Amino acid sequence: MDLNRLPNDKKLQLCRWYFKVGCVFLPFVWAVNAIWFFREAFLKSPFEEQKQIKKYVLLSASGALVWAVALIAWVTVFQLQRASWGATGDALSFIVPLGRA
Amino acid sequence: MYFHIILLLLGALCNKLSISERLHEQIYSSIEGGAACFRRLNGSHQAGCSSANNGAVGVVHFVIDQTDANWLVNNASAGPYMAIVSTMMFNQVIDTFLKQPGNIAGVLLFHNSSLGIFAFSQDSKCPNEYFSGPGSTCSSTESSASVWNERGSNLMRQDIPFPIFFLPESRLDEIKKIEECFQRFNRDIDNQNGRPLCSVQMHSFMFAAVDSTVCMRRSASSALITSAKVCDPLGDHNVYYSLLPLSKDTKKQVVMVTARIDSASLFDGMSPGAASSAVGMVTLITAAATLSQMIPAGKTYDKNVLWTLFNGETFDYIGSQKVAYDMRHGEWPSVAPLGFDDVVLYLELGQIGGSLLTHMEDDDWPLNIFAPIGANNLDVVSDIVNDMNVNLKLFNMSLQLTSTHNLPPSSLHSFRRTLQDIQEEKYGKNHSLADVNLDNVMPQMVLVDHNDHYTNMYYNSALDEYSKIGFDYHNISIGNDGTFISTKDLIANGTMKRTDSQVKISRLATAVARTLYKRVVGESYTGNVTASAHLVDEMLYCFLKSQACRLLLAADYAKSGSGEENLPEKPAPLYVGVAAWPGTAPVFAGHLLALLTGTHLKANRTQCEAMDKVQYSYYWLRGWNHSGVCIQTTMNFSQAISPAFTISNYDFTSGEFSTWTESVWRELWVRVFVSAGGGGARAAGIAGALVTVMAAVVTYWLRTRARYIFVDTPTGSLVSGDAATGILRTVNC
Repeated sequence: MDLNRLPNDKKLQLCRWYFKVGCVFLPFVWAVNAIWFFREAFLKSPFEEQKQIKKYVLLSASGALVWAVALIAWVTVFQLQRASWGATGDALSFIVPLGRA
Repeated sequence: MYFHIILLLLGALCNKLSISERLHEQIYSSIEGGAACFRRLNGSHQAGCSSANNGAVGVVHFVIDQTDANWLVNNASAGPYMAIVSTMMFNQVIDTFLKQPGNIAGVLLFHNSSLGIFAFSQDSKCPNEYFSGPGSTCSSTESSASVWNERGSNLMRQDIPFPIFFLPESRLDEIKKIEECFQRFNRDIDNQNGRPLCSVQMHSFMFAAVDSTVCMRRSASSALITSAKVCDPLGDHNVYYSLLPLSKDTKKQVVMVTARIDSASLFDGMSPGAASSAVGMVTLITAAATLSQMIPAGKTYDKNVLWTLFNGETFDYIGSQKVAYDMRHGEWPSVAPLGFDDVVLYLELGQIGGSLLTHMEDDDWPLNIFAPIGANNLDVVSDIVNDMNVNLKLFNMSLQLTSTHNLPPSSLHSFRRTLQDIQEEKYGKNHSLADVNLDNVMPQMVLVDHNDHYTNMYYNSALDEYSKIGFDYHNISIGNDGTFISTKDLIANGTMKRTDSQVKISRLATAVARTLYKRVVGESYTGNVTASAHLVDEMLYCFLKSQACRLLLAADYAKSGSGEENLPEKPAPLYVGVAAWPGTAPVFAGHLLALLTGTHLKANRTQCEAMDKVQYSYYWLRGWNHSGVCIQTTMNFSQAISPAFTISNYDFTSGEFSTWTESVWRELWVRVFVSAGGGGARAAGIAGALVTVMAAVVTYWLRTRARYIFVDTPTGSLVSGDAATGILRTVNC
C-alpha cells in the first residue's frame, strides 16, 4: 500500500490499528509499523495527526526492540545451555538433534 | 551442415547412454563387506564410533608402521586422512590417533593373517570390572594390579572420535583396490596439496549420544516431530533346561550349571566368540545331553540339575543379573521359582577354550577351578573337584583348584552381588560378616582354562574365530535317529585324534556329566555313556562356521510348507543385540537342548501343539529325518533384559544393574573415490565472483545512464485509461 496516496486521518487509523494488533504478542507487526510509518512520523513536514503517529511509531519501535532483545537473549541462552539443562532442555526442544548432546 | 552436426551430437549421446553407467557410479567405488564400529551407551558414557551426519571424508594413507602414524598426526598437510591399518598394527597406532585425532577422519582396519598377529582384544583388561562381586581385585586403572585380560585395549568401552570400519580377511581384494588407487594418486606424500587424491568416505552416523539416560529419554519422548527411537536396551533371552521337571509342589535341591551365550566385538555383526563363549556353551549343551542319557528315564531323585545359558553377559552381566534379581523376588524359573538356598552347588563353565590352541600337540587341556572357599562349603567344593579330577585323569587332562575370592569375570559375580545385597539388608553393612556368609549360601565354582591371565588372546574380538581354538571340521553324517559316533570309535578308526579340540571338549563334557551324575544319583557312574566328539564337532560347526548345518537343520522349527528353508551359510551372530528382536543364538541353543535331551513323542503337529503339561514345553521341530517331530522338554527361555529397564524410575547412574544400550543408525557404508585437487573448484569460485561483480558494475552503469539509453519510454501511458487506473489502485491497496 502506498502511504502517499492515503489521507492523513487514514494514516493515523492504520498506524494505531497496527500498534493494537502488535499488542497481542505480535512484535513483528510492531516492527513493521515502526519502519513503515517512520517517514510519516519524523521526516514529513508536520501535519495534524503526525504527533499521534509519532507516539505510536515510538511505542511500536520500543516494544519491538524489547521483544527483540528478549528473544535474542533467550535464543542465545537456549542454544548455549540446552545440552546442560538435560531433560528440561529436551522437553523445550521441538526438534532434538540426533547424535549429540 | 546443421543436420550433420545434430546427427553427430545424437550419435554421441546414444553412445554415452549405451555405456549406461550413472555418473555416481563412475565417481565412487563402494567397499563391500566392511563392518562398522558403532555406538553403545551405558549409564554414564557413550562408547564406540560415529561419523558426522553426512559421513567422514579423508585422504587415503596406508599405515605400515609407527612412522606412518606419526607422520599422519604431525606432518601430513592434505588432511584429514583415512588411515588404512592392519590388525597387526592396530593396537599400536590407535593410541597415537586417539591422542591427536585432529588429522584423522577415520580408520579402515583390515585383517591379513599372513602379516601375523598374536593378540587382539578391544575389551577391558578387567571385563565387567564395575559389576564384580565382593573380593575382586582386578583393576584396569591401577597399573600394578594383576588383570585377567592382559591384552585388552579397552577400546570397546571408549568414545572414539572418528569412524572405524573392519574388513575381514575374505575382503582383502577391497584393500588391494584401495592400494592401487593409493599408489596411483597419493604416492608422492610430500606434494599432496592441490592434487587429485585417492580418498575414502565412511558413513556410520549414530543417532544416540551422551548416555543411556539421555537416549532412552529421547526415544520415549512423544515430541511432535521427532518421536523416533535413538537407542534400544541390549538384551535377549536366557535359556534354561532342568534335568528333571521342575515343580512347585516337590521342591528339590538344585545344582546350577551355567555358561554364557554371547560374545561381542567393536564391529557390527563380527562377534565369532569361539574361545570367548562358544566353547563354554557347546560344553554345557553336550554335558547336558550326556547326563540326560546317563540318568534312566522315569526315575526321580531329590536333587535336580538346572543347566542355564546366560545371554548379554559381555555387557555387565545382563542375563545373570536378571536371573539373580528374579530369584531374589521369587520369580525364576517361572514354573517353580528357586531361592538361593535351594541351589546346593553353582558351577560355571567360564572362560574356556583359549588354551586349546597351545595344547594342540598333547592330550592335556589344563583346567582350573576358582572357588571362594569357606568353612561350610569346603566339603562340597573339594568333593566336586576330586570327582572331576578323577574323571578328567581318565583322559589325561588335569584340573587344579584355586581357592580365592578374586574370581575371574563370570556370571557368578551377579549372584554374589545380589547375595551381598541380601546380607547387607539383614545385618547392615558389615562386609567381613557378609563375605563369610556369602560363600555359604550356595557353594560356588568357576571352571576356566587359565590362571591369573586369560589364555584367550582374542577375548571378545572380531578375530576370535574357529581357527583360534584349532577347530577343524570333520563333516561326519548323523544317523537318522540322531545317533552320534562315540569319541572312542572316532579315535579308534583314526577319524579324530586325542589332541583334537572336539575330543577334548567332549571329554570335559563327559567329566562334568559324570561328576553331576554322582551328585544327583549319589553313586559313581558305571555305564558307558560318554559325550560324543562327533556331536561337539557338529555343534562347533553350527556356531562357528555355518548355520546351514546338520544340527540346526534338525533343531529348527518345522515349517508348514514343504520347501526346505535355507539357513544362512555363516555363523549365528553371538552378539547379544537389542532386546527388540529375538536373537538366533539363544533360540538355536534352546532348540538344540530340546532336541538332544527332550522326549520325542509320537504325535502329529496338531496333537503336539495341543499338549499342555505344566512342567513341560512342547516344540514341533524338524527332527533328524526332517519330517517333523514333537518334543516334550523342560527347556525354556527367560528374558535377559537388565532390571534397569524394567524397574520404573530406575536411576541409571546408580551402578546397580547393567545399563547398556545400542544406538540406532540408518546406514553404514564405505566408498572410495578420487577427490579433485581443488583447482577446478577454486577457478569456478573465482569466475563466479568476477561475473557477479561485473554484473553489478554493468547494472549500475545502465541505471545511471538509463535516461540516455531508454529515451523513448512513453511515460504515464499505462495509467492513461480509467480502467487501468482502477486496476493499479486495486493492486496498490
